[in-house]
Amino acid sequence: MSAITTTAGDSTPAAEPPAATPARRTNWIGVIVGLIVVVALAALTRYLDKNVPAWTADTAFGKIAKSIEYPVYAIAIGLIGNVILSALRVRDLLAPAFRTEFFIKTGLVLLGISVNLSVIWKAAGPAIIQALILITSVFFFAWWLGGKLGLDEKLRALLGTAVSICGVSAAIAAAGAVKARREQLAYAASLVIVFALPSIFLLPWLADLLNLRDVVAGAWIGGNIDTTAAVAAAGAIVGEDALQIATIVKTTQNALIGVVAVALTAYFAFRVAAKPAGATATASTVEGASAAAQASKPGLIELWRRFPKFVLGFVAASAIGTWYATSGWEGASANISTLNNLRTLFLILAFVSIGLEFRVKALRQAGWRPIVVFGAATIANIVLALILASILFRTVTT
Amino acid sequence: MSEPLSPSSPPPVAEDDEESRFAGLEDWIATIVGLALIAIAVAGLIPKGLVP
Repeated sequence: MSAITTTAGDSTPAAEPPAATPARRTNWIGVIVGLIVVVALAALTRYLDKNVPAWTADTAFGKIAKSIEYPVYAIAIGLIGNVILSALRVRDLLAPAFRTEFFIKTGLVLLGISVNLSVIWKAAGPAIIQALILITSVFFFAWWLGGKLGLDEKLRALLGTAVSICGVSAAIAAAGAVKARREQLAYAASLVIVFALPSIFLLPWLADLLNLRDVVAGAWIGGNIDTTAAVAAAGAIVGEDALQIATIVKTTQNALIGVVAVALTAYFAFRVAAKPAGATATASTVEGASAAAQASKPGLIELWRRFPKFVLGFVAASAIGTWYATSGWEGASANISTLNNLRTLFLILAFVSIGLEFRVKALRQAGWRPIVVFGAATIANIVLALILASILFRTVTT
Repeated sequence: MSEPLSPSSPPPVAEDDEESRFAGLEDWIATIVGLALIAIAVAGLIPKGLVP
């Protein structure tokens, strides 16, 4: 049995605790060269997005090329870059520059300028209801199924949180809360990425097949795909309205990370930790940084610490945009157009980074049961989110 | 299964180095960069056509 699928009753640490390592210093040459690579691939994405439809206009591929949106080019180019850099054995050296999270968060703050505050106001209620129902249902389904398949409680908590809230960030928060092992966190995070990548293309295709309104499709995508970057990519493929709603729904779910982290901390502190010694796996726990230490103090401070602060930037940008668009200032329309182009650039940088960061190595380390749990929970999430989005967002407009 | 994580596997919570400090501040940095870009654009300081 692998370390990751250790059952609740198995107290044998299958992985040795990692030796204390000195703090790594940032390889600035790698960061700078990596940034140049990301920007160059983003420029190539923009170039192909603008020119491929014209190049193929009179060919059999022309119709398809016209319907391909920029996230598809960006992720494909990122994946190709990933293969090339891995073959050249420089990928890991440049990896510190592949900042998907930073690029997507900056892009989403910039997106706020185009989202009228009234849209956030209209969508917030349904988004909160949808998020609460989805998180609760999908988390407990994954928890229950993981228990049936004999997974360790910490891994069950990580998988449930990752699949029900917002992927890697939620898994990191949960890992700190339940003091999971590094291997478990890496595994849950890898599952998130592996499942998110096909979802970027599958969900917009299904939304089209099901003839969903863009707003409903956006709510479905936002409630479904686990990483914020992948949500933005899928939303952008469907269209601007879907991107806006998907972002609002996703950021609502992101904002609930803190609540879940506090609940998990309390559960593991009072229930799991109260079990006899050896009832839970105790190998190398994720407690290096402040995550685990602070997770043991549930409360308002923990809620604030887990709160995704870029959401504040998104709402502030929306308030500025709502005022600016109606201010009558000379050049307002042109300046907002410039900001929209900037936003697209940051989203492209994020999508290219998704492709560059992608790897399946960790998946081979842990057997089939967590994959079954994550896959089944994902399918349950897709079905439930479709029902909820269709009901809750049927009258919402942008 | 005791194979160590690959360098790019994403458990950034445990590394006390410059990279993880950046990750911890990522939300705030993204917010500041985004709002700063908005302020510069609203002030009309980004020439039209500069951003493709």
